Amino acid sequence: MKLLTKYNRVNLITTLIVMLITGILYYQAISWVLTRQKDKDLKVEEQEVFEYVIRNHHLPETFETNDQQITFSEAKPGSVKRKFINTMYFKKWDKDDARKRHGSKLGGKYEPGRGLITSVSVGDKYYRILIVESKVETEDLISIIFSITAGVTLLLLLVLQVTNHLLLNRLWQPFYGIMKELRLFNIADTKEIPKTDTTIDEFKELNQAVLTMTVKAKNDYKDLKIFTENASHELLTPIAVINSKLDTLIQTENFSGQQSKLLNDLYGAVSRLNRLNQSLLLLVKIENSLLHDQHQINLVVLISEMLVQFEEIFQDKKLKLIYSLDNKEVYASRYLIEILLNNLISNAIRHNHPAGEIVIMLTAESLTIKNTGENEPLPVEKIFTRFHKSSGSEGSGLGLTISRQICENFGFTLDYQFQSPFHLFVVRF
Amino acid sequence: MKILIIEDETGLRESIEEYFTEAGNICEAANNYQDAMGKINLYRYDCILLDITLPGGNGMSILKSLKENNYPDGVLIISAKNSLDDRLDGLNLGADDYLVKPFHLSELKARVTAIIRRKTFNGSNLLIFNEINIDLLAKEVKIGKSPVKLTRKEYALLLYFIANKGKVVSKNAIAEHLWGDGIDMADNFDFIYSHIKNIRKKLMEAGCNDYIQAAYGMGYKFTET
Repeated sequence: MKLLTKYNRVNLITTLIVMLITGILYYQAISWVLTRQKDKDLKVEEQEVFEYVIRNHHLPETFETNDQQITFSEAKPGSVKRKFINTMYFKKWDKDDARKRHGSKLGGKYEPGRGLITSVSVGDKYYRILIVESKVETEDLISIIFSITAGVTLLLLLVLQVTNHLLLNRLWQPFYGIMKELRLFNIADTKEIPKTDTTIDEFKELNQAVLTMTVKAKNDYKDLKIFTENASHELLTPIAVINSKLDTLIQTENFSGQQSKLLNDLYGAVSRLNRLNQSLLLLVKIENSLLHDQHQINLVVLISEMLVQFEEIFQDKKLKLIYSLDNKEVYASRYLIEILLNNLISNAIRHNHPAGEIVIMLTAESLTIKNTGENEPLPVEKIFTRFHKSSGSEGSGLGLTISRQICENFGFTLDYQFQSPFHLFVVRF
Repeated sequence: MKILIIEDETGLRESIEEYFTEAGNICEAANNYQDAMGKINLYRYDCILLDITLPGGNGMSILKSLKENNYPDGVLIISAKNSLDDRLDGLNLGADDYLVKPFHLSELKARVTAIIRRKTFNGSNLLIFNEINIDLLAKEVKIGKSPVKLTRKEYALLLYFIANKGKVVSKNAIAEHLWGDGIDMADNFDFIYSHIKNIRKKLMEAGCNDYIQAAYGMGYKFTET
């Protein structure tokens, strides 16, 4: 859930509850005040009746004014208890009221009213007085006040919601900006995370922390790369010396079988050491994007040339080669593409069994190199990691890592699939 | 032939000197920038093996100085820097070839031989070794008068052997020379054996002596007699 949604939800629920409570209290308060007002009117009327009786010694005429009715009825002395009641008020239609013409039998309608029951003694007679006043205006007033208040509150709430939404979205903008930058962050990239323009301290701090962290990560990574590069470079000279000494050593004649086996093993090991070292250097270079010699390369020509190179090895291992090459050109470094093809084809040869099969298919979208070999899939998640080797492989364990790096460098993808009995490596352009 | 080795790494320099020193060859060595400059200004060489990173200066300046003075010496750069830019810089400045460390001495010898051959046999493109006649331009091989049809790789291998005649050439060196170091097939050099078998058969069928000998299972040797 987004922070804004969460915030809004909590905000809305609390506001609604508070509004509901306030509404009830407000209604009660207004209602109470207005009822008191009515009661006061009723008391005034009662007083008038009493005064009239005292002055004139008889009951006043029952008269009916607007919104007020007084009725007298004889009662047993002392049976009437003075009290205010909520009752109904019968209002007669006005003469020109449209509803009258519709032939209503009642000739009026009931409205809510407030009544006062009291009593008066005239001479020896005891009367019960009922004064009823229409409360319809009061009710109307309450409902108008209440509606206006509720309306204003709702409007306020709506406006608040909208402003909150706009404001919070705007306020969070720097945060989203930083998030986006972080998502795009690539440690091998030279691009730095830009300083976000914000006046909010929290975001400034976040931005600052992110900046510091990425700069540090980049520096560490750079140091590591420089170290790898330097180490590999420093290794070149001793390897060159070992190599040359071995070349010199084998010129001295008369080796026993055991000695020549030892020398052979040494050659093999130095050769592997050298290859490993070269691979590390190459990896650093690709990651540093230090190889800029990009050209338009015709893959058909390049692959054909490479297949000629491998001809003797295919023959020697009795591998059956099937290929179909559609015309395809890529814009890339020839050096790197050669390494990529070399790695993939070498792998297809190395991990094949004698009299196996290699299929190379080049289309406008992809290059697929598939080969027979061990009849079970390779661990997809592992084969592209550094120094992962299948058992018994004499490779450097960097071939596929380099291949994938090269592909990424030019915006291609390199994937592995197993379709029994073939292992497939697919480069998608 | 007269060769100057400019290389500061003693082990490597000595190996190269030893490998190149044979009847008819003179090898001199310099292990820093000043020595090297002194030597190139005094003597002419058929080929100069030039390391780029030297104590006291940069090998590239030596190359520049050679070219400014129009000295005809062949130059082969041996460098630990395997970047295309360095390679192009070196070749643009007039170096004849560029070899990246580490290398096999046999590879170095083959390259140097090729440079010297280009420099000294101006116009002539015939390489003759006993009864083997090689037309370097047409890439044709004749034994006496009878032509031998060799594949591209077999031809390259023959030249490689002749350049390293009398030396044991390791299988690694042969593989790297023929298939480049990208081939990464160190675990399986059997294909070299069948390759050598073919070339021997072809040459001997044409009446050539059997010069190619297996050397202790490590490599092969092209004997001179």
